[in-house]
Parts: sequence; structure tokens; C-alpha cells
Amino acid sequence: MTWLVAIEGSLRRARPFGAAAAFALALGAAPFAARAAGSAEVLDAASLLSRAAAAARTLNYTGTLVYQHAGRVETSRIVHWNDGGSEFEKLVNLEGPPREVIRSNTEARCYYPDAKIVRIEPRTFRNAFPSLSVQQQKALTDYYELRRGEADRVAGLETQAWIFEPRDGLRYGQKLWFERTTGLLLKARIQNERNEPVEQFTFTDIVLGARIDRDMVRPSWPPAPPAWQVQTGPGETDTAETGWVVRGAPPGFSRVAEGYRTARGKRAPVAHIVYSDGLVAVSVFVEPASAVHPAGLLQQGGVNVFIRDVDGYVVTALGEAPAATIRQIANSVARR
Amino acid sequence: MPDDISRLMDGDLEDGDVAGVCGRIRNGDVVSTWVCYHVIGDTLRGGAGAVPRVSGAFAARLASEPTILAPSAVRSRPVPLAWAAAATVAAVAVVGWVAYATLDPSPTAIAKAREAATIRAAQVRPQPVPADYLLAHREYSPTTPMEGIGPMIRAATAESADVRP
Repeated sequence: MTWLVAIEGSLRRARPFGAAAAFALALGAAPFAARAAGSAEVLDAASLLSRAAAAARTLNYTGTLVYQHAGRVETSRIVHWNDGGSEFEKLVNLEGPPREVIRSNTEARCYYPDAKIVRIEPRTFRNAFPSLSVQQQKALTDYYELRRGEADRVAGLETQAWIFEPRDGLRYGQKLWFERTTGLLLKARIQNERNEPVEQFTFTDIVLGARIDRDMVRPSWPPAPPAWQVQTGPGETDTAETGWVVRGAPPGFSRVAEGYRTARGKRAPVAHIVYSDGLVAVSVFVEPASAVHPAGLLQQGGVNVFIRDVDGYVVTALGEAPAATIRQIANSVARR
Repeated sequence: MPDDISRLMDGDLEDGDVAGVCGRIRNGDVVSTWVCYHVIGDTLRGGAGAVPRVSGAFAARLASEPTILAPSAVRSRPVPLAWAAAATVAAVAVVGWVAYATLDPSPTAIAKAREAATIRAAQVRPQPVPADYLLAHREYSPTTPMEGIGPMIRAATAESADVRP
């Protein structure tokens, strides 16, 4: 059961992203490298991603973020503050019914003032995925071709675009725009197998190194307003072998986490297994079948969901991958 | 084979099998099965409007048929027979056109068939994606640390349909 220990290790250990990438590079785990024209700069997929992740965590910034999917446009205001290692983030949507998300190292609170609901999720700040494993970094280079895109301006800042072109039809392509000096991701576009955008995130304005104080990341409401309903979101994962396995995971997808979690409105804990190819993850949830549940394929932005019955259980597979990939994973879920 | 075509049309075929099945659609008998299933499917979905366009001659002949002003007592004829007959007529008329499209050696025809299968699959009941699962999944997405807010926005979008006391 060595692999189970390894998975627990990657869940529990909060390794700094950069150090992990350097470690992997030292091992020679990322043989594919893109050389920038006319310079000695050598970049590989894993270091681009880890640099962007580190920037998103450590920088202070305020900005406006536009999310587009399926003909819909949603605009949000974001404030991110790293106060000596403690992260705080405030996200407010600017259209439709107000939604506010306040994140800290220990929890996220989502406020739904129209429904008078505050929803608390424990442990939300990016700690579950501290780094890409060596296996994931290999999948990144084996299953995506990294191409240098154009130099471009996004939100008034100079960026360099990089294209992650899938080498097969089982994953989406991604085009990512990284800010030149910090590596922060300012724009991301997911493209389907016909090169049509599935979804896109863009900063339309951003202030890097903004002066931020505690008031700017405080919620607009008390932590738990009187007469509001307080809900607790999906709980922490208890790492354990679930007895379920994906027999036919698409090539490049390896299991990165497995366990049980409690979910709102579910009587029994739900088995949760995660597969990843280094760029995207696909989650598989298995729970005892209840009376009525949806079945088949659902879609939400770039996320595809496939739900099916297996021996009195409901299997739900979801992730930022083509419908065929999600379906293949869902259809190959079986008892170990 | 008819089973495979049915699954292809329903978007239930595994991605790896699509090319193979599309390849076999080049065969004449298989083409008529493909067409027949589409006509049946269209009719079932109430899209019978496509049938009159199939053959001008057939439409003209139908128009020239005398209208029965005093029909005999309505018999409870099973509907499937009625459209099965229509489907056969329509299929024969359509085969020429579809055969032309599917025998096209360019990969476009295959791509189109694949697209049809994919789109069909995507048109499943508009039910909200389970927000809890979306949120739980978010923690594990490698790009989450960079997108920062993206998955949160997705979840909030899903949740706006899901929020109820």
C-alpha cells in the first residue's frame, strides 16, 4: 500500500510550489522545454504553472475579472492580500443577485444575501494540491505540446501567451497569458477539440502590488448574520481506500487523491477519487443511490459532468475535460 | 451495427469507437440504417416538417391524393407503424443525399458525424450541476491556484440555481 501513503503525503504536506518544481527539474522529469526565440530563457510547462501559482498566492492585487462561458459574461471584483504568509481574498460579483466570497487560509464564506444564506467551507485555500507530482509533470509533457504564443497586453500589462496543445482528443487545449515580470496568470482560455472557446477568464484591470488593508478583504456582512441560514459545505476528505476504481482512465490521467467526504444533504459519506493529467483534474464521486437523481451528461461552463448508476450506487464524474473523456471515466468506474 | 449507430446518434459511443462506426457508415446498407434512425428520431421529436422536403415527387403525389371527407370510424392504429412507413419512404429518398455526404472522403464528413453525436449528447436535460461536487472538485484542480477565482465563480453560478433553504 505504498501508493496510498504517497497520496496521503501529497495531500498533507504543504510543500512550496517552486521548490517542488525545482526538485522535479533536478530529476529530469520535464524533458520537454520550450526555448524562447533569441534568448537563453528556457521554460517548461511545470515551471510556468508553478510560477503562476506562486504569484497568485504571494502577490497583493486588486482587479476586475471577467468570466465568459456559453454566451454568458460574468464580472467580478477581486482583492487578494498576503499578510505575511496569511492569505485573504474577497470576491464580489458585479451583476445579478449579489454574491460575495471571503477566503482565508482556514475557510471560505459565501454570502447569498437574497436567499439569506451564508455557506462556510473549511480548508479552501489551495492546500489540497501543493504541487504537481513527478507523474503529473510527465503527463504534462507527454500529452500536451507547449508552444510559445504571442506577446500581448492584458489589462494594460505586458504578457506572454503560452499554448498547451493537447496531443490527443481527450483533453481541452488551453491558452494562458502570463504577466511578464511576476508570471501571474492574467488571462486563460480553454478551447475544445474544434478550437472553439469553452470558457475564458480575463482580468480587464489589475493593480499589482496594491496597498491593501484588512478592511478591503472584510465581508460586507457579519460572519453569520442573524436570521440567516448557515450551511456547511463539503467537508474535509478523510483519506482512505474507497473500494472503487476507474478501470479505463484515459492515458495520462493518474490517481492523485482518494477518500471520503461528507456533503450537504447526503446521509452517507461520499467516495471521492481524483484523477489528473497535470493540467486538469477529473473527480469521481460515488454514493448510494437515492430516489431521484439526474443521469447522463450535464455541462457547466468548461466543466462536463456525467452521471450513471452502478449496482445501486450513483457515479458522478466531472472535470474540465471533453464530454467523451468524462463519460469514459464514468463508464469505467467499478468495484475494486 | 444498428446498435452502434443508435449509440452514435445518442452520443453514447466511446470516443475511440466513433471513427470506426463512421467508417462503416460508408457502406450502403448501413447508410440507410443511419438515415432511417435519423428520420425516426426526428419524427419522434416532432420534427416531421423535414419529411415533405425530402422528395418533391412524393409531396406532389400526396397532395394529389383525394381528401377523405367522411372518414370511417377512427381505429386505434399504433402510431409507430404510421411513422415507420413514412420513415421508410423518406429514407429511400434521402439516401442519395446522405450517401453523398458520408461518402465524402474528406475528414469533414466524419467530423460532422462526430459533432452530431457530441451535440446530441450535450443536449441532455438542463439540470444544474451539483454545486457541492463542483466545489469539492475545485480543491483538486491543478490550475485552481492560478485561476484563483474561476472555480469559485463556476460554483457560484451553479449555486444560484441550487440555493434554497
